[in-house]
Amino acid sequence: MIRDSQLFQPFNDEPISLIGETGAWEGPFDLDLDPAALRGMYHDLVVGRLMDERLSRLQRQGKVSFVAPSAGHEGAQVGLAHALERGRDWLFPYYRDTSLLLAFGLPQVEMLAQAMATRADPNRGRQMPSHNGSKDLNIFTIASPIASHVAPAVGAAISMKVQGTGQVAVASFGEGATSEGDFHAALNFAGAQGAPVVFFCENNRYAISVDYNHQTGADSIAAKAHAYGMPGYTVDGMDVLASYYVMREVIERVRNGLGPVLVETLVYRFGPHSSADDDSRYRPREEVEAWKRRDPLLRFRRFLEKQGLWDDAAEAHLRAEVEASLQAATAEAEAAGPIPVEWMFDDVFAQRLPHLEEQRHDLLD
Amino acid sequence: MADAPDTRPMTLVQAVNDALDVALSQDPRVLLFGEDVGMGGVFRVSDGLQGKHGEARVFDTPLAEAGIVGYGIGLALAGMRPVAEIQFAGFLYPALDQVLSHLGRYRHRTRGRFTVPMVIRAPYGGGVHTPEQHADSPEAVLTQAPGVKVVIPSDPMRAKGLLLAAIEDPDPVFFLEAIKLYRSVKAEVPSGHYTLELGRARVARAGDAATLVTYGGMVEVCLKAAEVAAREGVELEVIDLETLAPFDAATVMASVEKTGRAVVVYEARKIGGFGAEVAARIAEETVWSLQAPVLRVAGWDAPYPPFSAIEHHYRPDARRVLEAVRKVLAA
Ligand SMILES: Cc1ncc(C[n+]2csc(CCOP(=O)(O)OP(=O)(O)O)c2C)c(N)n1
Ligand SMILES: [Mg+2]
Repeated sequence: MIRDSQLFQPFNDEPISLIGETGAWEGPFDLDLDPAALRGMYHDLVVGRLMDERLSRLQRQGKVSFVAPSAGHEGAQVGLAHALERGRDWLFPYYRDTSLLLAFGLPQVEMLAQAMATRADPNRGRQMPSHNGSKDLNIFTIASPIASHVAPAVGAAISMKVQGTGQVAVASFGEGATSEGDFHAALNFAGAQGAPVVFFCENNRYAISVDYNHQTGADSIAAKAHAYGMPGYTVDGMDVLASYYVMREVIERVRNGLGPVLVETLVYRFGPHSSADDDSRYRPREEVEAWKRRDPLLRFRRFLEKQGLWDDAAEAHLRAEVEASLQAATAEAEAAGPIPVEWMFDDVFAQRLPHLEEQRHDLLD
Repeated sequence: MADAPDTRPMTLVQAVNDALDVALSQDPRVLLFGEDVGMGGVFRVSDGLQGKHGEARVFDTPLAEAGIVGYGIGLALAGMRPVAEIQFAGFLYPALDQVLSHLGRYRHRTRGRFTVPMVIRAPYGGGVHTPEQHADSPEAVLTQAPGVKVVIPSDPMRAKGLLLAAIEDPDPVFFLEAIKLYRSVKAEVPSGHYTLELGRARVARAGDAATLVTYGGMVEVCLKAAEVAAREGVELEVIDLETLAPFDAATVMASVEKTGRAVVVYEARKIGGFGAEVAARIAEETVWSLQAPVLRVAGWDAPYPPFSAIEHHYRPDARRVLEAVRKVLAA
C-alpha cells in the first residue's frame, strides 16, 4: 500500500533538511525554483513575522483581546503554502498559522480586522483573534477546540474525491493535538478510505507547558502514520525549502489518488503560547535562545545571500515595504469601525427565528 | 504558636489551591492531574502543588479530555481518589462520552459494587474576556447525567469546604469554578480541613419582596442588583444554589413561598439552561404561592460573543436582573 516516493523516504530517522545552518544548499538534487519564486518565499516569511509582531503590539495596546504568536513556525508554514494551489486546495488550519494563511492569500486587512473585530472582518467578529477563515480561499474557519477540525478535513477530502475535482485538503495542528481522540479517528478514516488529505503537524515540542515527553511515548509524530496505513515524514520545519519540497512531492502524490500522508515539521515557538501565557515558567531561556539562533528567516536569508539573490539593501527595502503595507491594512481595518452588538443574533439559523428576534429586541431596549 | 489566626484572606484561586493541598496532604489516594496542571495550570490553581507533593501525585496528562476523564474513572474504580482538571469547561466536550456513558452510571450498573469517587474541576463562564468556547457554561449538560453531582461555589470560603466535601464524596462530582470570581474577591478562609455539605442551597441575602435564584458567577450580579433595589426600599432575597444536582428544592420553595415572586438568573444560554429546571420546579411545587410569572434572566440563545467589546452585552448584569424584578413586582 505504501509506495516510496521519488525524492524523500518516509519514516526517516533524521529530519529532512535541504539548507544548512550557514545557508548552504545541501539538497541531494538540483534546485528548480527561479529567483522570483525564492524571493517570494522570503517575502512571505517576512510578512508572517512582521504581522505576528504587529498583532502582539496591538494586543498590548488593548486593541486585540488575544494573540497566538507564530514566530518560529514560519518556515514550515510558508513552505506548505507555496506547495498548495491557492484558490483550489482546502486548508483546515489552526490558531498558530499566521504565515500559512497570509501566504495562502488571506488579505492582511482581513486578518487584522478579524483580530480587532471590526466591520472589515468577513466573519463579523464571531471568532476569537487568530481564528480566521475564508470562504473565498477554501479556508475552514479555525475553532478553538484542539483537533476538532481534523476529521472535517477528511470528510471534505472525500467529498472532493467523490466529485473528482483533484483538490487536496490539508489539516494543520500542533503535536499536542495528536493526543486527542478526534485526531486518531480522522487518520483512521483517511487511511481506510484513501482520502486526498495531508495531515501537517507543527511539532514545537510544547502544548502550552506540557513537553513532548509528557505528551506521547512515540519517538516521533510521523511514526503514528504507520498504524493508519500511510507514509509519515519528519521535516526540519526551520528550513522553508525542506518544507516546500517535501510538501510539493506529498501533495502531488495525494492529488494523484495515492492516499493520505502525515508530515511532521520540527519547529519551535519563539514566544509564549498566547498573550495570556508566561513561558518562562516552563521553558529554560537557554533553550529558547538556542532555537532562535536557528530562526527560519535568518537561515533562508543566508541562503539567498549565498545564491547572490539578496543583500542588506534588499532586506531594508523589503521590510519597509511590508511594514507600509501592514500599516495601511491596519488603518483600513480600524477605520471600518466596531461591529454592532446586535449582529450577534444573525446567522444562528438560516432564518431569523422569533425567539432570537425577541432577544435582539430585549438587548436593544 | 498557640494563637495563630485560623483564617486567612484568600481569593477563590487560593482557596481551591488550599483545598487541594489539604486533600493531597491527608489522603494518599488523592491524585491531581490534567493539562498543564504540573506548572500550576493556566489559572495557576495548582501552583506549588507538584513541588510539594511530587510528580507522582500532581501531574500533566496528554492533551485529551476523553482520556483525562476515562482514565480518572479507572483510577477511581481501582481505589484512588482522582481530582481531574479540565482546562476550560467549554473543552469538556470531547469527554462527554465518558461523562454520559460511564461516570455516573457505574454505581447503578454494578449495584454499587463499583463506584467512581472522582472530582472533575473546570473553570467556566465569562466576564474576563476569555473569548468564545473559553466562556461556556455547560452545567445543564452535566445535570442531565444520572448519578453525577454538580457543584458551583460562589465565594472562597464556601469553595474550599465544598471542594473538600466533593473529594470525600462517594460519588462523582463536577466542580465548576467561575472564572470571573477567581481573583475578583478575597474573603477569610479557615485554614486546615473543613467540609460544607453538598446538596444545600444557602440564603446569600435575606429579603421579602422577591426571590432571585442563582449560582456561581451570577451570585455577585444578583447581590449587586439586590443592593440597588434595597436603596429603593425593595428587599430581594438571593438564593445561591451552590449544588445544582442534587437540587435543594426545600430552600428555594421556602423562599418563594415567602416572597411570592421569583427570577432565576444564569449565564448559560436561556433555552434548556439549568434555570429552566428551577422555574419548572417552582411551578410544580409552589405555583399557588406565586403572585407573578417566574422569569428567567440568562445568556442569549446565540453563541457566546468572542470579542471582548460586546461581552458585557451577553452576560446578564444587574441592570437586566432589575428589569425582570420590576416586571415581577408589577404583576
Ligand atoms: C479540546 C481542547 N482542550 C484544551 C484546549 C486548551 N489549549 C489550547 S492550545 C493548547 C495546547 C495545544 O498544543 P499543540 O497542539 O502542541 O499546539 P501549539 O499551541 O503548541 O502550537 C491547549 C491545551 C483547547 N483549546 N481545546
Ligand atoms: Mg505544540
